Amino acid sequence: MNKRQIPKGFRDLLPQEVRIKRELEKRVAELLQSYGYVEIITPVLERLEVIETGTGRNIREDLFLLTDREGGVLSLRPEMTVPIARMAATHLRDEKFPQRLFYLANVFRYVQPNLAHYREFWQAGIELLGASGPWADAEVIILAVKSLLAAGFSNFKISINHIGIINSVLYDSGLTQDQREQIRALVEKKDLVRLHRVLDILPIEAEKKETLAQLPILHGSIDTIKKIPFLEKNFQALKAAGQLTEIYEVLRDCGIEEYIVIDMGVLRGLNYYTGVVFEGYSPELGYGLLGGGRYDNLMGQFGAPASAVGFSMGLERLALVVPQPPVGPPKYVIGGRDFMRMHLRAETLRKQGFIAEMDLEGLSEEAFMAKWKEQNRELLFLD
Amino acid sequence: MNQDYLTVALCKGSLLKSTCRLFDAVDLPVDGIIEESRSMVFSFPERKIKYIMCRPTDVPTYVEQGAADLGVVGKDVIVEQRKDVFEMIDLGFGYCRFVVAGPERLAGIGTKDLNYKRVATKFPVVAESFFRDLGLQAEIIKLHGNVELAPIMGLADVIVDLVSTGKTLKENHLLELAPIMDSTARLICNMVSYRTKYDMIQPLLEKLNEKVPAVAGK
Repeated sequence: MNKRQIPKGFRDLLPQEVRIKRELEKRVAELLQSYGYVEIITPVLERLEVIETGTGRNIREDLFLLTDREGGVLSLRPEMTVPIARMAATHLRDEKFPQRLFYLANVFRYVQPNLAHYREFWQAGIELLGASGPWADAEVIILAVKSLLAAGFSNFKISINHIGIINSVLYDSGLTQDQREQIRALVEKKDLVRLHRVLDILPIEAEKKETLAQLPILHGSIDTIKKIPFLEKNFQALKAAGQLTEIYEVLRDCGIEEYIVIDMGVLRGLNYYTGVVFEGYSPELGYGLLGGGRYDNLMGQFGAPASAVGFSMGLERLALVVPQPPVGPPKYVIGGRDFMRMHLRAETLRKQGFIAEMDLEGLSEEAFMAKWKEQNRELLFLD
Repeated sequence: MNQDYLTVALCKGSLLKSTCRLFDAVDLPVDGIIEESRSMVFSFPERKIKYIMCRPTDVPTYVEQGAADLGVVGKDVIVEQRKDVFEMIDLGFGYCRFVVAGPERLAGIGTKDLNYKRVATKFPVVAESFFRDLGLQAEIIKLHGNVELAPIMGLADVIVDLVSTGKTLKENHLLELAPIMDSTARLICNMVSYRTKYDMIQPLLEKLNEKVPAVAGK
């Protein structure tokens, strides 16, 4: 049966699954378009240098790599932010900013497949290029909230944080880059056991150790920001916390406070984030639904410096939690002995907006009814 | 995931008694868990807490997928399983360690002499990454038990296994050649539950942290 195998972690989408996927895409795309976002498509393959310019080298183990005939290394895109930054740096640099872009795209990662991890999965997302400040951040977070709501889902929270808080504390600590990255990874993964052990032996001030030990467990309302120990000792971190507060206030004033949580442990794995970062969770699923943030240095890596902020959400994961979309209008099946009569009747129905299928076997009325009676369809037999 | 309940995955076996003692100390209900050894689910509706009993190696899976919010399991299992879970507290009990061990005639060899050895183990992930991180090549032979037998029968040169007292090694005339890592029981948490049930989980973590001896697992 080897002929029937498909690559591990990939999947066929059957009509029922495609129907849900298309419906989700349609709802989200309509919302994004109403905010002025326009759709773009980029190649499914990127040169490895492009991916690594954006994400750093630490994700190579997650990539599907292949070589082209000239000996270059290509990667199936693991996400869309880097390809869009590359594309915008080439094609949009002379356009008016901000640019509002959205995508519906498949991305590929070499993960261990399970319920919510496929090696090919679909994302819907946006990138708001060339806009900085809390209004731009808020627009993207509002769209993250509204995208989930548009998909028909409301049992979720968006955890927001500002990467500048931990980065400034770490930068100020005199640690090496490796040590800083190690601590960031431990805070991100909430490996509190190792974090405490690593902090114990690092030669940094006790106050900073306490700040770093507290960050992964600070979670809650806007007051959470005030609970960061010794925040006032670091000007840059304080400034980042001020920006986070501003963003929160805009979101509150826009009436979506009920979906927003401050969470100092949200750092996002990728290296390119520079400002606000956020992730969406639902108690109905043990994995995240969406993630995003501000990445003001990424466009510069491709020679066209511009501030940028965006998010992406996983459509398969969303499909696991949203209620089934309603089925469409009834479907007609037309049987009979005269093809032209059947054809004309079907055409009339189609013009009226119905779906009409035709029996192609010339079945007798009895056989026709028997064959289709179990299906949820309207049957017409033209004698 | 049930939103009102906190679901905790526990494993049968050596960790269960210590876990129950600790949970009792922070006022979590533990009635009957040890005695009724055949039940798989213990529900305490008035306390909104539920325990599920599973094999140690399955605890990280239940927690990663969100079928349980919290779990108690050895670090040895966590590193071998490589699941995405938050590791919140070192509970201190259940001490054991991963070692490379071999026949007594190998006494005194250095780690670099382990190159190209055949290694029998129940823990291929731990064994493989230990050798790879040292820049060594090793042929990993995955077994499901009685790993000590492999060097005796000539199936492998050395083994990678968990030891607590070292008694089993001694009985089989094996020597510890190199330490790999220490392990104790950990409290792990689902990445989403920690956020969606923060108000239930965080206070519990703080109570547990107070009760776990500060020297635990060092």
